[in-house]
Amino acid sequence: MAPRIQSRSVSNTLLPYLTSTSSSSSTTSVPSLFSTPSQCLSRQFSATAAPQTKLRRQMFEWLSTEGAALKHHIPGETNYLTRLKQRGGSDGPDSRRPFPNNQNFISEPILSEELRNEVYNRVVTKGQSVRVVSVDLGIDMQRIAAVVRLVELEQRQRKQGKPLALPYARAIHEMVPTTPLAEQGERQQFHEPINDLPAHPLTGTQIFYPVPESRSFTRVEAGRVFSAAPAMEHSEAGAISHPSDLAEKIIENPNATGWVGKGDNRRQILQPADVRIPHPHLVSLERDRITNPKERLAVADAHAKRLERQDAAEKRRRERAAARREQMQTIVSPEESRFDYRIKDTVYTAETTGKDGRAPWAIGRRYGVPHRDRTRGEVKIPTRVDA
Amino acid sequence: MVLRIRLARFGNKHNPFFNIVVAQARSARGAKPLEVIGTYNPIPKRPTNLYEENANARPYKEIALDRSRAKYWLGVGAQPSDPVWKLMSMAGLVAPKPTTFDKA
Repeated sequence: MAPRIQSRSVSNTLLPYLTSTSSSSSTTSVPSLFSTPSQCLSRQFSATAAPQTKLRRQMFEWLSTEGAALKHHIPGETNYLTRLKQRGGSDGPDSRRPFPNNQNFISEPILSEELRNEVYNRVVTKGQSVRVVSVDLGIDMQRIAAVVRLVELEQRQRKQGKPLALPYARAIHEMVPTTPLAEQGERQQFHEPINDLPAHPLTGTQIFYPVPESRSFTRVEAGRVFSAAPAMEHSEAGAISHPSDLAEKIIENPNATGWVGKGDNRRQILQPADVRIPHPHLVSLERDRITNPKERLAVADAHAKRLERQDAAEKRRRERAAARREQMQTIVSPEESRFDYRIKDTVYTAETTGKDGRAPWAIGRRYGVPHRDRTRGEVKIPTRVDA
Repeated sequence: MVLRIRLARFGNKHNPFFNIVVAQARSARGAKPLEVIGTYNPIPKRPTNLYEENANARPYKEIALDRSRAKYWLGVGAQPSDPVWKLMSMAGLVAPKPTTFDKA
């Protein structure tokens, strides 16, 4: 229960709800919006709500003088606080920094309307793969997938005659930096770096691992050390001329990475960054370009073929996974019911539930295992949504 | 003693979740069963509105069932309870339970 103290700070929270007449009922004169400091001092023992705090007064003062310049934005330019300091040219270094005291924060551009539609056109109408579009336009693959889904959603809403927040979208696009679509014949400006890779948590450990000088030790071997996997056979290691060679094999068969550990501790062997980056084929392309600087056409041809192979392999893999899912699940839709029933085949054996039936990967709720959903630090925010 | 294939409730208040279990008929609902052969989530899930084909899809409930174990236990005389009978008839393991109307 809140303490029954009529301090100024408590009564001030009611300010927005109090009319000026009720808040000043004890005083004879109605205080103006900008009350003077002396007035505040004179009523320091008063229990009545103060009509105005100092900070609030300063805010209105600022809004009417200096801040008035920011009231209306200029289309195509940012409307950040830093504009006030800059005075004049708005294309200065500060035009993308919203916070004057945080120089490290830079607002990143968003996709312009035309670029967004171009992404959708290429993927859906022209049927290009997400990977190719991502490389061509310099947009992250996940963003491309999101754009396709959202444009589809927008089109459906238009078809259904649902209202769209178009004025809002227009205003936002005028106020934040955007990546435009290149004109005919121009070079497309890249939206973002597409081949970035977050640091893998396994690589955070410091490991002292002595290696004989005569032995080659590459990124592939380093990954094995980080995941505590035994070293490769010499013949196997010798067959890898460059870590990016592994990428194609792993795209075709993700299990080719190899596994270490047993039971609950089983994990995939950490692969070199050349394999884990979103576009490993760009590394191969660059290496081909360096080795054959004069045969540009042949290199481009080989690259196109490689992409085709990888796309086909990925498609095959997706189809296989979908077929497996289909086979595992039957959907029953009883006529008398409002619901569908998705019946999944499972196998309850010692392998799937553990010898004592308590394996953490077992399906369903288990007996004799504390349910940890209320323990401190348990994150319950779902990390994926099945669409 | 009679073996039953029945539901054992897990989950919290207002958030039921069932294991489909094979147990002695007179054992407690929460007691350790002979075997767990599946799960049933009675809370309907709604397909996301993201795809065109999902737009008019019905909400669905999820059942997981080990068919071969279920067949085995039915073969040795385990009796499904009414709710499990309903689930199993949908999975095609038993004939739908005759209604009172059919019996009369």
